Amino acid sequence: METITLTDTLPEVFAQRTDINSDVWKKHVTFEKGKLYLVEANSGTGKSSLCSYIFGYRHDYTGTIKFDDQDIRQFSVSQWVSLRQRSLALLWQELRLFPELTAMENVEIKNKITGFQTRLQILQWFEMLGIADKVDARIGRMSFGQQQRVAMIRTMCQPFDFVFVDEPISHLDDNNSRIMGEILTTEAKRQGAGVILTSIGKHIELNYDKTLKL
Amino acid sequence: MIWKLLRQHISIPQFAGFFLANLVGMTIILLGVQFYTDTQAVYQGEDSFMKADYIILNKKISTVNTITGKSTAFSQSELKEVEQQEFVERMGVFTSSAFDVNASFQLDESTNMSTDMFFESVPDEFVDVKSSDWAYVEQSHELPIILPRNYLDLYNFGYAQNRNMPKLSEGILGAIKLKIRISGNGKNDDYEGRIVGFSSRLNTILVPQSFMEWANQHYAPGKGTAATRLIIEVNNPTDQRLTSFIQDNHYETDQDKLDASKTTFMLRIIVAIVMTIGIIICILALYILMLSVYLLVEKNNTKLENLLLIGYSPRRVSRPYQLLTVGLNIVVFIIAIAIVLIVRSQYIELFHSFFPQFESPAISLTIVIGLVILIAVSIINIIAVYTKVKSIWNRKS
Repeated sequence: METITLTDTLPEVFAQRTDINSDVWKKHVTFEKGKLYLVEANSGTGKSSLCSYIFGYRHDYTGTIKFDDQDIRQFSVSQWVSLRQRSLALLWQELRLFPELTAMENVEIKNKITGFQTRLQILQWFEMLGIADKVDARIGRMSFGQQQRVAMIRTMCQPFDFVFVDEPISHLDDNNSRIMGEILTTEAKRQGAGVILTSIGKHIELNYDKTLKL
Repeated sequence: MIWKLLRQHISIPQFAGFFLANLVGMTIILLGVQFYTDTQAVYQGEDSFMKADYIILNKKISTVNTITGKSTAFSQSELKEVEQQEFVERMGVFTSSAFDVNASFQLDESTNMSTDMFFESVPDEFVDVKSSDWAYVEQSHELPIILPRNYLDLYNFGYAQNRNMPKLSEGILGAIKLKIRISGNGKNDDYEGRIVGFSSRLNTILVPQSFMEWANQHYAPGKGTAATRLIIEVNNPTDQRLTSFIQDNHYETDQDKLDASKTTFMLRIIVAIVMTIGIIICILALYILMLSVYLLVEKNNTKLENLLLIGYSPRRVSRPYQLLTVGLNIVVFIIAIAIVLIVRSQYIELFHSFFPQFESPAISLTIVIGLVILIAVSIINIIAVYTKVKSIWNRKS
């Protein structure tokens, strides 16, 4: 997958609004593979909705979203499954980790279906992010900031053409934010993938190719 | 690891409930099938050539008949009347031989027995013998025969007893070749009779219909034979109309056999009722299982959704629950079969004491039916779980 194109896209709930002044909604936007984007937004402007639409989780929008030339509304279940395993990665704002499992298990449950990262690499990331001692701790017992880091590691456990990270550092200090940015960009560069970050103010300082206001 | 995640919220009491209910249902159904097969074997063991719901009909022979010489044969219109009765499924006419028959067999060097006899035949579909055994090949000199069992009793308990002759079992007699001489129309031919069995219901010597037709034509051309006995298949031997029809027309039937057929008929109804109850219990059990699985999926909704969102396919996510239900079904099946075997070993002993020559039939039919239920229930489970997971994918819940 080389490009993600949004044409005239708008969440259905915004249909009545006339004051939309966005670089994304109701516009023609193309995200290209290999580039780094920042989507800045105020709360309630549909940042998480955007991620859900592109990830095939929700369909309550008007207009079209295309991967290369294909309208994503046409995708079958198995196409979505393989996209989520091989082409699209998403770090959800609400993380979607499993509180019953340990940090490592949460990562492995993903890595098991892709077999993409080595255990060594995963442990190294835990180390880098300063949560090496939490590898076997249950997610339910960890702070949100720690969970964000685990979720980031899990997001890296698959091949992707595009990676979306939805407010990844809302609960992290600057140092950890920097490390997160480093892991993300290194992995993206290695895979030649496009990166789309969203933020509502605080964001990782990176060399963005383009900043869009939602 | 998915299992570690998805086994959360599994309710042991609910699954135990399903397990027990399904076990009871399955056991009742399978026991019903097995019991029916076994009891059928008891009845058929007495006479494997004729089903119990075949009835033999003839006119009463009274003194008046004998004196006036009035025929005991059925007229065409009478035949038609019988055939048109609602309770009659099929009707066949006995054909008797119009030629002379003499049979002899050699027991040992010195003992040679010989007797004049007669043949009769009924349409082949009324004779329950493998069709390859019950066929006469024209020009061949081998002839399959069914003898009345009381001939054997007559010989064993009367004749042989009296004269110190060896007693014959059915098995030995089956191996002996009868020498049969048929004469008529100026011809004289020898045949080899092969006894394929004994019948306690038919007091006549049966040969295949095809042979009878050919032989009557060949040895006694032009001599028609009258229909003096009929064989009918009834759909319900307890039918009141059958009894009154027989009485009104002064017909006779093998009454005690009619009673036997009444018994099997009642038995069949009882087994059917019991099995219906079993099926209802099974359906209810299935319903309990579906409810618990739905509840389980509902409770684990978020987990299942997250699994789907990190790249698991609905098929993969459904699998643990599908395996769980199919596993339960298999365990139920195995235990049900075990219970059937245990119960059966109890009543088979009883059967053996009642009917010494009772041969217990195989339990394969029961296993096949059990497997069919197992597969049907499992398929329903698999589809239901998948549909439910798919609805999470579609965010319908």
